[in-house]
Amino acid sequence: MKILAPISSYDELEMLAESGAEEFYCGIVPREWTERYTGAVWLNRRSPKGGSLETFSDMKRLVDHAHRLGIPVFITLNAPYYTGEQLAWVTELARRLDGEAGPDALIVTDINLLLQLSLAGLNAALHVSSVAATLNTEAIGFLLQFNPSRIILPRSLTIPEIERVVANCRDRVEIEVFMLNDGCAFEEGFCATTHHHAVGAFCTSLSEMDTEFEASRGRRLTYRQEARLRRNLSDYREWIWYVNGNGCGATPAGLPYGPCGLCAVHDFQRMGVASLKIVGREASPFKKMASVRMVRDIVDRVRRGSSKLVTIERARSLRGSYEHCDSGFMCYYKVDATER
Amino acid sequence: MEWAIHIAGAGEARTELCPEEIDRFEPGAALRPTVRLAAKLIGEYFGPVRFTRCVYGNEFCEHLIPDRELLKQSLAAACERGLRFTLLTPYVSDAGIDALRPLLDLLDREGDACEVVFNDWGVLNLLRRDYPNLVPVQGRLMNKSLRDPRITGVYGASDAPATTLVALRRSNLDCASYTEFLRRLGVEHVELDNLPQGVDLSFVEGDIKTSLYMPFGFISTSRICMAAGIHYSKRDKFQPGAPCHHECQASLLKYTYTNSPFDNRDQGFYLKGNTYFYTHTEAMMRAVFEQSRAGLIHRLVFQPRLPMTWERIS
Repeated sequence: MKILAPISSYDELEMLAESGAEEFYCGIVPREWTERYTGAVWLNRRSPKGGSLETFSDMKRLVDHAHRLGIPVFITLNAPYYTGEQLAWVTELARRLDGEAGPDALIVTDINLLLQLSLAGLNAALHVSSVAATLNTEAIGFLLQFNPSRIILPRSLTIPEIERVVANCRDRVEIEVFMLNDGCAFEEGFCATTHHHAVGAFCTSLSEMDTEFEASRGRRLTYRQEARLRRNLSDYREWIWYVNGNGCGATPAGLPYGPCGLCAVHDFQRMGVASLKIVGREASPFKKMASVRMVRDIVDRVRRGSSKLVTIERARSLRGSYEHCDSGFMCYYKVDATER
Repeated sequence: MEWAIHIAGAGEARTELCPEEIDRFEPGAALRPTVRLAAKLIGEYFGPVRFTRCVYGNEFCEHLIPDRELLKQSLAAACERGLRFTLLTPYVSDAGIDALRPLLDLLDREGDACEVVFNDWGVLNLLRRDYPNLVPVQGRLMNKSLRDPRITGVYGASDAPATTLVALRRSNLDCASYTEFLRRLGVEHVELDNLPQGVDLSFVEGDIKTSLYMPFGFISTSRICMAAGIHYSKRDKFQPGAPCHHECQASLLKYTYTNSPFDNRDQGFYLKGNTYFYTHTEAMMRAVFEQSRAGLIHRLVFQPRLPMTWERIS
C-alpha cells in the first residue's frame, strides 16, 4: 500500500520524497492548449494556472529525478471528455509524454481516450481516474478490456462497498482510494459543473444562494416542517464547509483540515488496497508536505502492526482538533473501530 | 421523430396522455411555468402530440429503482396501450446492481425487446453479458458535456472563441472512434440534455440515434443526499448511499443564483433528492425543436415533472 502525493513543480520533489511520498501524480498543460481553448475548457480537471506543469522539459526533469529516487510518476489526462479535435491533440500529447518524459502511468477518465491509449502501444500504464465513477464490480469488469493497471475509486464508496470491490478485483487490477483533502459534495464523474474562478465550485456557491422549499403535490409546508427542513439545510451547509477543507483551513501547526480517511488506513491495508491518494495538485508546497507527513505517520504505524484502535486514536490526535473529528463531517469514510 | 413521456407509474400509462394536461402531472408551483411553456411550444411546433413510448424508472438514485411488481404493472399498462417501453437505470453500487437484476430478468422475458438506459458502465457490462435481448441506450449522465447554467449559458451568448464554444457544445460523441466503439457494444442510441450553451449535434450525421430530455436538465448528482439526512442525527447525516425513506418525494428546494457575478441573478436551480436540475428557457426549447425538425434528434422525452418520482407499493 503506497502513499500517492500530488506534485506540481520540480522544486517540491525532494521535500515530498523526504516526507514520505511513495508515488507522485501531476498534470501538464502546454501553452498551446490554453491559447486554443482559453481558461474555459480544462485539459486535466485543474485550471491551466492551477497546479500543472507547462513544458515537456519540466516534466522530464521531474520524472527523471523521481525515478532516481525510486518513485513512480503518473500524469493526469483526466478531463471527463475530449472532442474529436481534442482527442487527436491529447493522444499525441500522451505519445510525446510517453516518449520524452517517461511517466509510469497516465490517469484517464474519457473512455474514448482510454480506448485509444490502450491501442497505442505506450510504455506507460493506464490508470482509470475517479472521475470515471467506477462504483461497482461490474464497471471494473467493463474497464478491464482496456488493460488498466489501476482503478481509482470515487470518494463516495463506503468501507463495506470498497471491501466488496477489492475482494472481487484485487487479483486483476490495483485499487486506489482517496485518503486526504478536498472533498466533493457530488459524484465527481456526474457533476457537469466547472470550478472556473468566475463562479467557483457549484457546491460552495450554493451555500450563499437564497432558497425556498416547496411541498410536493400541492400541499403546504407547516411551520414545523419548514423549520425542520431549514435545520437540515443548515447542517448540509456546515457539511459543505467541511467538504471544502473547513473553509480551506489548517491547524496552527499547518496540518490541513478537511476530508480525511486516516482512520480507515488499517482497513485498507487489510483489504489489499494498492494506493492512498492525497488530493491537491494546486495546493501550496507546505500543505502538500504536511499532508504527506500525516499520512506517512499513520501508514508507518499500520505497517509496524499497530492495532486498529491505536491507529485510530493516533489519527484523531494528529491535528489535536477532536471537535472536527467528532462532528462526523470531516470523514471520507465511517470506520467501525470495534472491528479488527 | 418519436415522442416519449416519462411516466410515474402504471396509472399514467393506462390513459391517453398529452403535454397540455399539466396539472395532472403535479409539477409544483415553482416548475409549472416551465412545463406549461414546454407544452405550449410543443403545440406550436408539432401540433397535437401522440406519445408512442413511455419511459419508466430513475437515472439518478439507486434508492429510487422501482420495485419489480411496479415495473411489471407499468410494463403491462404500456403494452395494453401499445406504447414501447424504456427502463431508466441510475449509477449504482454493487447493491444497486443486485437491485436491478430482477427488473432486467422481467424485461428480458418480454417478447418485444425493451430498451434499458444505462448511466453506469457496470450496468452496460451486465446487460451485454446476461441480457443480450435487451437494447442498451447510453444515458445522459454518460454524456459529459458541461451544463453549468451559472456560466456555460454566458459563454454561449458571448463572443468566446469558436474553438471554446465548439468544445463546450460537443462531447466525445463527435469522435467516430467513440460512436463506433458504442456500436460494437450494441449501443446505437444515446441520450442528451439540452445544454445552456447550445447542443452541437453534428455527430448525428453518423448513424447513431439521439434522444433529448425536456424541459429539465441535470446539473449535478451525488450519492450523498441532503433530503435523506433529515431523519439522521447530525453526526450521521450525509453519508454516501445512506438508507432513506424517500424523503425526496416530500419537497423541492429552489435556489436562486443571487450571488452571480453575471446578470443572471434570477436564475433558478432545483434540488430534488440527490440531484440538481436547471430548467430550459424558451430560447433553448426553440433551438432544440428546430434541430428536431432538421432531423438531428430522433426522440424527444417529455418529463412533466422532475424525474425523481418513486412509487410506493399500495
